[in-house]
Amino acid sequence: MTVLAEPPGGRTLRGHFNHYRRWLGLVPLLVLTVAFILPILWMTTTSFQAGEKMFQLTTDWIPAEWHPENYPNALSRAAFPTFFLNSTVVSVIVMVGNVVFCTLAGYGLAKFRFPGDRWVLLAILCTLMLPLEVTLVPTFLVVYKFGWLNTYQGIAGPLVIEAFGIFLMRQSILSIPSDYIEAARIDGAGELRILWKIIVPQCRPALAVLAVFAFRDSWDQFLWPLTVISVNEYRTFPLGLVAFGEDYGTPPTEQMSIAVLATIPVFLLFAVLQRWVNRGFGLSGLK
Amino acid sequence: MAGRSTSGEIAAGDAAYARPAARPFWRLHFQRRITLWGIGFVLPTILFFAVFKFGPMVWAIELSFTSYDMVSMPAFVGLDNYRKLLADPVFRESLVNTLVYIAGSTILITVASLGLALAINTRVPGARYCMMAMFLTNLMPIIAVCLVWRFLLHPFGLITQLLQPFGIDRVDWLTSQSTAMPAIIAVTAWRFAPYFMVVFLAGLLAIPKDYYEAAEIDGAGGLLRFRHVTLPLLLPTIFFVVVISALLSARIFLMPYIMTGGGPGNATRVLSMLIYETGFSYMKMGEAAAISVVLFAIMLVFTMLQMRLFMRGERVHG
Amino acid sequence: MTYDLDKGTPGSRGMEEEMVSKTTSSTNGGSGVSRRSLIQGIGAAGIGAATASLAPRAWAQARAPVNLSFWTFENPQQRPWLHKRVKLFMEQNPTVKVDFQFFPFGDLGKKLSVGFATGTAPDGFVSQDWFMPTWFAKDLLAPLDVQRLGYPSVKAFSDDFAQAFVAGATKDGKVYGYPLWFYGFCNYLNTNQFKEVGLDAEKDWPKTWDQLGEVAKRLTVKSGERFTRQGFKFAMHAAQWTMIQFNPILVQHGGQWFDASGKCTINNAAGVKAMTVRASIARTYGAEDPADSIATAPLPQMDWLRERASMFFCHPIPLQAIASQNQKMLKEGYFRPVQYPGVEPGKGISTTYGFNLVVNARAPKEKQEVLHDLYKFIMSDLVDAWNDTAPFTYARKSGWTDNPEVRKFPNIDEIIKATNQGVYLPRTIVYNELADAVHRGVQRIMLNRADIKPTLDEIAAEVDRATEASKRG
Repeated sequence: MTVLAEPPGGRTLRGHFNHYRRWLGLVPLLVLTVAFILPILWMTTTSFQAGEKMFQLTTDWIPAEWHPENYPNALSRAAFPTFFLNSTVVSVIVMVGNVVFCTLAGYGLAKFRFPGDRWVLLAILCTLMLPLEVTLVPTFLVVYKFGWLNTYQGIAGPLVIEAFGIFLMRQSILSIPSDYIEAARIDGAGELRILWKIIVPQCRPALAVLAVFAFRDSWDQFLWPLTVISVNEYRTFPLGLVAFGEDYGTPPTEQMSIAVLATIPVFLLFAVLQRWVNRGFGLSGLK
Repeated sequence: MAGRSTSGEIAAGDAAYARPAARPFWRLHFQRRITLWGIGFVLPTILFFAVFKFGPMVWAIELSFTSYDMVSMPAFVGLDNYRKLLADPVFRESLVNTLVYIAGSTILITVASLGLALAINTRVPGARYCMMAMFLTNLMPIIAVCLVWRFLLHPFGLITQLLQPFGIDRVDWLTSQSTAMPAIIAVTAWRFAPYFMVVFLAGLLAIPKDYYEAAEIDGAGGLLRFRHVTLPLLLPTIFFVVVISALLSARIFLMPYIMTGGGPGNATRVLSMLIYETGFSYMKMGEAAAISVVLFAIMLVFTMLQMRLFMRGERVHG
Repeated sequence: MTYDLDKGTPGSRGMEEEMVSKTTSSTNGGSGVSRRSLIQGIGAAGIGAATASLAPRAWAQARAPVNLSFWTFENPQQRPWLHKRVKLFMEQNPTVKVDFQFFPFGDLGKKLSVGFATGTAPDGFVSQDWFMPTWFAKDLLAPLDVQRLGYPSVKAFSDDFAQAFVAGATKDGKVYGYPLWFYGFCNYLNTNQFKEVGLDAEKDWPKTWDQLGEVAKRLTVKSGERFTRQGFKFAMHAAQWTMIQFNPILVQHGGQWFDASGKCTINNAAGVKAMTVRASIARTYGAEDPADSIATAPLPQMDWLRERASMFFCHPIPLQAIASQNQKMLKEGYFRPVQYPGVEPGKGISTTYGFNLVVNARAPKEKQEVLHDLYKFIMSDLVDAWNDTAPFTYARKSGWTDNPEVRKFPNIDEIIKATNQGVYLPRTIVYNELADAVHRGVQRIMLNRADIKPTLDEIAAEVDRATEASKRG
């Protein structure tokens, strides 16, 4: 938009044009954005519609009558409060695990030299080709041998460290000058103290990105809990959502209510950490 | 920044290996302790990956040479599972589907996310908020994405309704052999493009302004500037996006599982679905493991590319 | 016509039940047999003899705590009723704890297989009848002690149930399943829509496949190319439903899933004929749109309930299901189940399937015994079951059919008739593979206009490969 040819003409006219052109450029972008979030809007508006709506296959963007009771009704189906609790417990374990272990490993790999460190780095890179979907059968057997079927650690275990997080933290820590660390060591600071007082504060943006994505990835898990969980007490919300409507009377609009509720925690986490996440992505230059 | 950190790194490395003799005894001890700390920091990760990534990988390879229903002991069958797979049209179709899916979604994700990033990078007022709004599609739970799109892609659903002005009354998005896979690829791009848009945006922001100014002085127009300044400088980012989105696509499960169940016929059945069905519905763990090994091989290709990219990046750093 | 949805007065029924059971349990050790089944069931003397001999052991075991696990499938009526019975049993036998778990209908079989493989299978569970061969093949079930269930002999047990159903749960003269629900499929009509096009549902209901097509065509309403109403609708949403609905068409046309040597024969002339009939509603009569459906796994009959389709092949549809989606249809009662169409009129056999209460062979002896008591208690009051789970019928002949509660259910005779003239789903250890292959094939034929014969050839080849693989171990 900014590379349009300069229009010929008077100075005042051009000034005006430039002024509005800046805003004019927003129009196509806005259209694009709305098109992009249309499904999210549809999900939200449908979650307030009467159950009938879903079968008429028409879209009223503003419900003719609002049905906020879809939400409490949906939550009373199956055991959704429990499912959400389980998802939260597992996702928090995974998030904390990633934040802690990826920081440790990222620090170890960025600022320490030890025999075989390059190989470790490459090995970690290799785990990118070993996601749970692919190693489903043997990972299931491992978790089974640990006696972790139908437990929180069974769902969270294989997700507690991800290569993505290690690389993120390593790159972030690499940019911290080693002089700081040396200086602290000379001052007699212990290694953990250095990690906590020097490294962690400098890595907040990367940690924010890591926290959001680790949480989301775990929150999203479907196939893995489906495979390791066979008791209602430990089911996570995606399993409940897919089995939704096992009750005759359940209107599918309520399924959308659960979908909206499931979206909120991730959005909230993102909103809270948003300032850091933007910097973590290297977007601090964007206004 | 990178330069500074690298010099620090080298200094640390030198201290550990190159000049130990020049230091007094207690200092050597101190350095060794630091090395041990480094190992200690990485050790939990190494152990974890050994148990949950490489252990299962080795086990999968081993299982792929056995017949195993989990009730009786695994029995060695040599290459039987692989031979069976090769003769199985369902496997062949799923393999082709997986490759088509990887190619399709990688291309679409890369093009769409680059386009979005360029649009945001025009810096029109409010662009940042548009970016954040689009990014929400990447945060929405993927199960919700699948359920919502399954409704939207009903033959008479919202997407068809939006096409009505063009005289289109009905499209069997998810139930026709020709549109089911493209539809799923489009939903995948909708889901993941905003993430890579952010990656591209970071890359665009990192391009120094003077490059553009220099090009402008040379009289280069918008398109020319994109070709000769933006694209070459963005090339590593593009490469990164291609590789990562290919790795992401290779493991896709939920989208076809929820939206089409692999159908119509076999049109959208991918290898990860086949692993689950073969292992946990037909109880043929050996054959499922063999499919896993095939999927390893596919992902290995992209991992090698990623490795090359990574090594090059390291060389730039130091 | 209006139907009373109220399940009677459960509170008072429960009390009565409990009192009866308490008395019996104090006299013959936890074998809660209600008065009704005592009268209507098999000879009371038999029960007396059976329970008397077991009484001392049951008494001894009542003291040591027993923890059982029990799995079933999810259903809005059946699961809560089972849970209620299990809880009641626990109240009466305080030393017994039952961990009650349930799964979506389509997941139960998978979860059980994995459970057996990992040693996490439950002590007892409800098995869909088409999975019995899978459990048999690996000796995963314990034979039932029919005397502990209150029957003097295996013969007396078998005679009390639909014969063919028990046969599916019997191996080498031993019974492995205690049959529970068991139902046949009917053709459900929307009688209002029949009237609307000048048909009388009582007389004009389709008795042959040709008639089905003709009637469906008349019932179809279209605006332009789009169906406002489909005259008839086949389920397209799940492999299991594809199997259930196609099975009788195949059998009626003289086809069979497998020949004597175990080769899949779905692609022979009879199979092709059957699939042509299956496809004709859409292809020849233009009376359905296979891609346009709002069916869901728990409510496959959704299109019919929402009056988007006039006819649908379904298991007995509970009034609650109709009430939840279409109050008007329930209130005015404009629905009616009739028998399947036949190749010849009057021979409209349909699929029947059912559920067995079974015992894990690896469960310790003591748990197996308590499970017998639990099952006997669960089955001791089929009228209570009917009140909670109507119109899901039972494999047992005695104890419910002539009860007034059952008799007053609308169209009960049609529902029971469908059970009596049913055919079972194929009993094979490659059932899952078969169902998936058939489902894929039907999708190709119906959604992508694939040719019938080559598609059936593909299905047969796929199934034969699976059979071959399972033979090799």
